[in-house]
Amino acid sequence: MKGHIIVRLEVPGVIQYRDIMLRTLSATCKLIGPGPGARSSRASLFSAHFVSAVGEAYNNIALHGYAGHEPGTIRMEIEQGPDWIRVVLADTGASFDPAQARPPDLDALPESGLGVFIMQSFVDEVTYVPGHPNLLTLFKRLDQPREASPHSRRRAPAERS
Amino acid sequence: MLFTTSADNDVTVLRIEGELDAVSVTDIRAALNTIAEGKPARVEVDLSALRLIDSSGVGAIVSLFKAVRAYGGSLTTTGVHGQPLAIFRLLRLDRVLMG
Repeated sequence: MKGHIIVRLEVPGVIQYRDIMLRTLSATCKLIGPGPGARSSRASLFSAHFVSAVGEAYNNIALHGYAGHEPGTIRMEIEQGPDWIRVVLADTGASFDPAQARPPDLDALPESGLGVFIMQSFVDEVTYVPGHPNLLTLFKRLDQPREASPHSRRRAPAERS
Repeated sequence: MLFTTSADNDVTVLRIEGELDAVSVTDIRAALNTIAEGKPARVEVDLSALRLIDSSGVGAIVSLFKAVRAYGGSLTTTGVHGQPLAIFRLLRLDRVLMG
């Protein structure tokens, strides 16, 4: 499924630049779905979910992927369709496949380890290709409200584009 | 992110505005520790002006909740809406924290 790549943004891979990324993404989400001025509650929730997911992905790269060594950059590419959005985050830090993360025990009120669960729960597809760079793709469609259920798929290296 | 605390009898109100995330959470941790050390019977966390929270922010609030509960106090959040409400519902914190 191809759309239009409307934003490419690259920032230093440190947490302080998170806000720049997410504000750009939030503004882009407003272009999805209903026309200007017709912000439905569903569209607002779509944006809240997707920005949350990308924010957690950003955190993981900046705080863990680049931990312990000179950070590289985080590159975000936003591709937009009529009722969907796809973000690819590229980094050169330590690889981490979100499919390997253990789901948190929510009944235990965990104080950490929630980021991957939030990311997976708020999008329709998560794809991770480790390498140089690592490529994390998050995809969400507007017209398919879904229950919060983690979904992750890992592509084999041969599929890397 | 801005926050204020106020105390009246045995109730401490913590109001958090803006964005509580991995960037801003370090600014509030000392204040959360101070609240817990005071052992108020009730803590109300006013999130009516909170626009965005991430897993780091959630961790800070849950940590305070556990600290308050450990000495027998109670903590509730109020005014949760928008993205923070979506996060709370996903993590089932609405059942535990929301008054």
